[in-house]
Order: sequence, then structure tokens, then C-alpha cells
Amino acid sequence: MIISAPFRNSNPRLVMIGVIIGLGLFILLADLWRVQVMNAEHYGGRDQAQSLRRIRIPSARGEIVDRNGVVLANNRPSYDIAFYLDQLGQVSKKQDIVRIAEANLAALSQALNMPVTLADRDVRIHYQRRRPLPLPVWRDLRPEMVAAFEERASNLPGADLIVTPVRQYPLGSLAAHVLGYIGKADQNDDADMERFYYYQPDSVGRQGVERACDEFLRGAPGGYTIRVNPAGRKVGDVGRKPAELGGRVTLTLDARIQKIVEEALERALLSAGKELRGAAVVLDPRNGEILAMASAPAFDPNIFNPGVPAATVNAVINDPRSPMLNRAIGARYAPGSAFKPVTLLAGLEAGSISPRDSIVCNGAIQIGNWSRPFRCWNTRGHGAVDAFSAIKESCDIYFYEKGIATGVDAITRMAGELGLGQPTGVDVGRDLSGLVPTPAWKRVQRGERWWDGDTAQLAIGQSFLLATPLQMACMAAALGNRGTLWRPFLIKRIEANGGQVVRQTNPEVRNRLHESPQNIEFVRQAMLAAIQSVDGTGHRAAVRGLSVAGKTGTAEFQMREGRIKRAWFIGFAPHDDPQVALSVLIEDGDSGGHTAAPVAGAILAGIFQKKMEAVAGGAVYAD
Amino acid sequence: MKRYIDSLMRMDWLLFGAMVALAVGSVFFIYSASYRGPGEPMPHFYRMQIVWFGVGVIVYVAAALIDYRLLCQWAAVWYAMAVGLLVLVLIAGAKVYGARRWLGWGSFGIQPAEIAKLAVVLALSYYLLHRTPQLRRRWGTVWVALGLVGLPLVLIMIEPDLGSAMVLMPICFGLMFVAGVRVKHLLLVTLLGMALTPLAWLKLKDYQKDRLTVFLNPNRDPLGDGWNLNQSLIAVGSGGVSGKGYLQGTQNLLGYLPRTVTPNDFLFSVIAEEKGFVGSACVVGLYAVILFSGLRIAANARDRLGMLLATGVVAMLFFHAFINVGMTIGLMPVTGLPLPLLSYGGSFVLASMTALGLLQNVWIHRRAY
Repeated sequence: MIISAPFRNSNPRLVMIGVIIGLGLFILLADLWRVQVMNAEHYGGRDQAQSLRRIRIPSARGEIVDRNGVVLANNRPSYDIAFYLDQLGQVSKKQDIVRIAEANLAALSQALNMPVTLADRDVRIHYQRRRPLPLPVWRDLRPEMVAAFEERASNLPGADLIVTPVRQYPLGSLAAHVLGYIGKADQNDDADMERFYYYQPDSVGRQGVERACDEFLRGAPGGYTIRVNPAGRKVGDVGRKPAELGGRVTLTLDARIQKIVEEALERALLSAGKELRGAAVVLDPRNGEILAMASAPAFDPNIFNPGVPAATVNAVINDPRSPMLNRAIGARYAPGSAFKPVTLLAGLEAGSISPRDSIVCNGAIQIGNWSRPFRCWNTRGHGAVDAFSAIKESCDIYFYEKGIATGVDAITRMAGELGLGQPTGVDVGRDLSGLVPTPAWKRVQRGERWWDGDTAQLAIGQSFLLATPLQMACMAAALGNRGTLWRPFLIKRIEANGGQVVRQTNPEVRNRLHESPQNIEFVRQAMLAAIQSVDGTGHRAAVRGLSVAGKTGTAEFQMREGRIKRAWFIGFAPHDDPQVALSVLIEDGDSGGHTAAPVAGAILAGIFQKKMEAVAGGAVYAD
Repeated sequence: MKRYIDSLMRMDWLLFGAMVALAVGSVFFIYSASYRGPGEPMPHFYRMQIVWFGVGVIVYVAAALIDYRLLCQWAAVWYAMAVGLLVLVLIAGAKVYGARRWLGWGSFGIQPAEIAKLAVVLALSYYLLHRTPQLRRRWGTVWVALGLVGLPLVLIMIEPDLGSAMVLMPICFGLMFVAGVRVKHLLLVTLLGMALTPLAWLKLKDYQKDRLTVFLNPNRDPLGDGWNLNQSLIAVGSGGVSGKGYLQGTQNLLGYLPRTVTPNDFLFSVIAEEKGFVGSACVVGLYAVILFSGLRIAANARDRLGMLLATGVVAMLFFHAFINVGMTIGLMPVTGLPLPLLSYGGSFVLASMTALGLLQNVWIHRRAY
């Protein structure tokens, strides 16, 4: 129609105008094509970038339960009062956000009678960087505070009650060293950082099971997307993906036994002026499952939650008694006489010890050209001592002589067979090797040859020998079950959030002793006598109606403050068919028999629900 | 009466159709531009716009039916009235954002600059018609024509309303060109104008300078003066081929497009965001229909006056459309020139519909009946 219409005034200048207009409109179309079709993605991205904010929702950690399903760690809701700064009022040059926030907070602070502990800087930073997110002001309110807030906050702009999951250890410090604790991740996932505009970090396990099983417990973070207007105020929700709860970890631990062990440790009788530091481990000698693992002093992992004053946390962290150290696996001690069963078994196997041989103990013996005689703990002497009574009464002279006769190589080999001097393979926490000294080791480390005196010391568990309480418990278990050294473990099973089993730990044999069953049985019988006999050094561990076998140990240890004694007890029960094996260590005790054995007795009595033998008096230095 | 109805039925229906389409689009997208989300209170600009279109129909019919030759005989009166109003607005106009552009009583107001555009078209057409061809090719004609345009232009500049003032230039040049003024003269005048530009720069207000420098480099100040341009570009670009959907334009909805001026200056950005390239091409297409229909009317006019009138109207509408659309995509500097028929605003709706009525007038009276 336009073209076909006759141009009555075929004015060429009118045609020129038409060309100019046509060109102009074409330029517009071409540029619109460039912006809207060719660069649509670029501008679409900028649109999203400036108006959409992705916010990460930290995942909720999974539960940790004991072997019977008793909850050791889970999450509870924390009720926090938070402020949405962008809803408080108009910020301007005259009205600073900090002043606005203060004015709003003051009213609530008065209504709830709680002081504001927020720094100006926090408010400002939050306003600048995380404006659409709530700023927590009071965390973890008590129920009456929540009620008070609900009553009085309806007219306060920007205030809101938000619920966040908080890690909870319902049994407090029970098994704290095993469970570990959590903290905020300080190493953020960079890929995640890029995906989210507002990053709320996960919690990560810092110690214990929380750390060892972190990837299973952690779950998957969620996220939500909000739209913001040019002022940064939230104007709507776009999408939400809830965080996924982490998996559930079932431990081999038995909360009942753990409690018994911790209480028994707590009640350890110490001489005046000594602080309780020690550890105890209870194992199932039939498969290596750790039924209880305790370390004293303990700590309450709940203190690492947000909202707990930093002073409380620092007091624990800086405590000179190192309450956060898991002494059951993270510290090494000289085992003392608790090592004697090893020497005995080595001697029996080597033929240097015969059950019928006996020696005479005068309380001291001269070895090589040592300047001083080697003494027995019983300085009056044991008189005639054979292998059996040497264990029962823990005669040092017997083991000096027989140890030298057996030789350092046979003893260290036997120690190795029973798991000393090497990592236990435990699945949680540090796994120290301890130390079984050899002549080669001494040459390298001390630049000195190995003397007979060293062998004598080694035979009674002194010298340079070091072991963790867990290693000693494993050794006791291997003697108890007649020769199987299990890998000790704490994590029995891990289930994903849906319930499917992700990991199931099967018992694992580390070593099977090839020593003759008679010899092993001889050692076991001697250990039984050490507890059951009235003159046994470990008689204070005896339990009525339970056949307990064991060995005490008292290792002298030179410290700056003076000589202190490591008090040990290792053992298993019942003797015929052991169901538990255990070790008890007190860092600074009087003696194994007096300090550690009663703890072991209390533990066993508790586990088997029997009463301890009433044992009174006796020499303080019963080894 | 029947004679008038018969006359009206002879109008260019294609041009009318394009006008109606733009008017309907205007109401819908002004609604969208003021929309704040479901249930949110919103300004009711679209209702006012409907009222303006209603008034516009009366003006349109009147401008179409009263013979343009009769209208142009009064050109001097229209011109004098327009200049009078421009002077009045400088004295009695309401000051909005530092500019006196409105003559108003209460909430009702008109912009004399819009009236001046039409008056200049009429007066210049009439003036050029009455110059003999020889005179039209002399310098004298050029100076008088420039003077006729220059007076209202300067008055509008003083308001200040740079955009509206600039519209007078293409009207002037378009009319002189079509009237037969020598190209040599037009080029010389253009060169002179360019030489005077640095002087004009000194006279510009700071915000006007900022707008021009931002046009040259939009990222110079993305949160200040470059904001509008950047946000408009994002709106248009993120619309893509088919747009985000009606009432779904997030750039508009969230206020990234400046709320105060979106229904007027950035309505095209809203259309482009919500309807994509398809929508913006439709808008450009409808303007093409109007502009080429206008040129066809000019070509078919029964006399030189009709041709000149139609050309002036086309020049005015084209300049508005080109500058406004170009502004939303950074092709042109940010000026407050509204889109004919689409942008919100009574004065320019009425001016546009009067202009289109004049086009129909020339078409209706193209033959002697």
C-alpha cells in the first residue's frame, strides 16, 4: 500500500527524508538485535547478578550414638533473636545504621532485661556485606526469654526469632575425648564461595569422631535464593533447597560402661596434692570393639557452641592439665611391671624361663659393672620366687635375671607381637606408636651401646619403653583371648541420612600369636593369681563372683618436679572366657596396686554388676 | 454532520490502526511499569493515560476535520500563543526538579513546549509556503526560518528542556529541506551550529553535561548518572528474544529501572524487557507504519502546504521515537524525550494525537471533493 500509492508530488527530497527515516529505524532494529539477541546472555547474567542473591544454608550434622542407640551427639534448636537491618529504617547521612540499630535494640534490651553485646563494627559490617540476612543479637535464649520476646516484640520492626541447629552432646562431658568437638570451618570451599553470594559456613569436626567421620556427619548444605532491590533490601524468595542432615555414626562404645569407667576414674584415690590425670580403656577381647575410652580430666564439648563466652572456652584450652588431650591414645607412658607378662611369655618361649625354676630375691642384685645394685620394689626381698609368683607378686629381681637370660631381641619381638611399639590402627584420633627400644635404636638415638642393665630395665617395663593405654588394653585383650591381637575400633557403623549403611566395620585381626597355648595359658594363670590371691599385687581389683586376671604396674618417671609414679593396671575378665579387657593408667599415682587396681575393680564390678572384694590396708608400694 | 462523518471515513485507516495499537500498548505497559507485585499498592498512571487518550480522540478528530488550509491561515496566531505560553511558563510555571516546564492548575498541567512543537510545524510550513521558489533559495529565507524556530527554541532551553528544544531542529531542517532550501545553505548552517556547540556547552547545566558524558562512557559512574543507562541496557538485553513476560520484568519490578521516570522516559525498556526483541521490533514496526504513512500522505497531499505539514509532523515523531529508543540502548544520550503515544504524559499524548490528526487532515483533504 505504501509503495503502490502514487507519489503525486514525486519530490525527490521527500524520498530522501524517507531514506533517512528508514535508515534510522534500521539502525535502531540492528542495535536492538545486538543488545537483545546477541548479548541477551550477558545482560541476563547482569540482571541476575544484581538482583539475585544465593545464600548458603549450612548443613545439619548427623547423630552419633553408642552401640545401643543412646544418643551421644545430636542437634537441638537454638532460639536466637535476630534483626533484619534493612527493615529498621531509612539510612541516611544523618541516620547511621549503627545508631538506628542501637535505638531499636535499646527498646528490646530493656523489655527483655538483657544487655546488648554487639559491637558497632559487627553491625556495620553486617549491614554492608550481609544486609538481607538476619543479624543474631541474642543467641540461645532460655524458654522464658523466648516467651517474653514473643509477647513484647510484635511492635518492633525488623526483630525476628530465628531457629538454628546447634550441636548438642546430651550427656555432657561423657566420652568427650572420643566424640571430639566441632568448630566453624575456616577453610571455605572456594567453588562454594563462588556459587553463593552469602556464605554461611558449615561446622567441621575438630577432634575425635566428629573429625574422623566429618565427611559422613556433615551432610549437604542447602541454599536459598532471594531477590533484592537496588537498595539491597530483600523483596522476595526465589527458591529454596533445604540442607541435608548428615549420616548417623554408631560407635562401639557402650554409654553405660563409659559412664562406669569415667566415674571409677573420677573416684581414683589419690594422695593429697595430686591432681587426677589418667585414662582407661575397655575393649571386647573377642573382636577389638572399644566399649569405653576415658581420659581425665575431661571437658564438655558443648562449650564450643556459639553463644558460649570465649573466656569459658579459653579456660579449657589453656588449662595446664590439658583436659582436651585424649590420654588413652594421645599420650605415651612407661608401662612398668604391667609389661612383665610379655617378658614372661618371651622367656617361656625362648626356654630361658621354666615354670619350675626358682630364684632367690634378696631385694637387690648386681648387674654387670653398674655402679649401683638393681633393686626390687620390695626392698626386703621376696625370698624364693618362681615364674608364677614372680608375676603374682611382681618380683623385679626375677625378671632382671630372666630378662637378661632371655635377651633383648626375644623380649622386643614379643612386645611387637603383642602390638607394642606400633600404631594400633584405631579409627579415631591420633594413633601413637609408643616405643619399644632396641640396641639399634639406642645406638642411633643415644649414641651408646645396649647394656645388660638396659635389658634388665626393659624386662620390668622401664628403660625407654613407652606405650599408650590403648596399646596396653589391646595387649591385655590378646592375652585374655589366648593369642589374637585385634585392631581396636570405635566406629561400628555409619548410615547415610536415608538409613542405608555406608560403612560397616568388621573386626580385623592384626596378629595371631604362634606361641604355644600352654605358655600363654601359664601367663594367664599367673595373671589370674595376681588378682585373685590375697597376696597378689592386683588384689584390689578383685570382684566378688568374677574371675579377674591382670597385672599391675608402677613406673617411676623423672619429672622436673620430682619423681612421679605411673600407676597401671591391665587385665581381663572373666578369666575362662574373657568378655572385657581393660587398661587403667593414673599419671601420678602411688602404685599400680593401690591406685590403678581399685579403679579397674570398680569398672569390672560395674560392668558385671557385682561387688568388689573388700580389701583393706597393705603396703603402700604394692607394685 | 454527515459530511464530517464521511470525511472521517476517508482517513488513512492503516495509520489509525497503528495509532490505536500503540495507545493500547501504552496503557498496558504503563500499568506494568507502575506494577509493584501482586497485592502491592501502585500508582494509577495507566488510568490517567486512558483519560488522556479519551481527550486525545476529540483533539484528533478536530485536527483531522478542520481543513488544514484554514488552520494554517491562523498559523501566526498559534505561533504567537505558543510563544506567549513559553514566556508565561518561565514566569509562572511550576518548578519541578529545578526546571519550569509546567503550566498548571492544581494537579492538572500542560507543557507549553509540546504546543510549541506543533505551532512551529504550522508556522514554518505556512511561512515556507508563502515564499516563492526563488526566495526559498536565498539566505534570507533561511535566516527567517531559523529565527522562527530559534525564538521558541531559546525559550525552551531556558526552562530548561534540552530534549524538547532539540526536537525543533529536525523539524526546521526537514521542512526547509523538503521546501527546497539549498542543500549548500543547510550544510553551512549545520557547520555553523557545530562551531557554536562548544559555546553551548558552557551554557549547559551540570546534570546536562553529565548526561552527555555518561552517554559517551556509561561505566564512568555506574551508580550515579550511568545508573539509568546501565539499568535500561540490562533491562532491554535481559529481555532476550521473547522477553520475560508481561508484569515479569524484574528490572522494572524491583526498581532497578528508576521508578520515577520509567512510565515516561523508559517505557520502551519495560516493553523490551517483558516482550523481548519481538516486542521492541513490533514497536519499531508500528512507528515505521506511522512514519511511512506520514511520508505517503506528504507525497499525496493536494498542495505544498499539506506536504510541508505532513513532513514536519513526521520529522517531529521520528526524532522523538529515535532519540527515546536509542537512549534505552545507549545509542543516544539520556534526554527526557517521550515516546510518541507510548510514554505516559498528557501534553505529549495530546500533541502526538493532534499531529496524527493533522496527518489524517492532509490525507482526507488530498482531493477536492
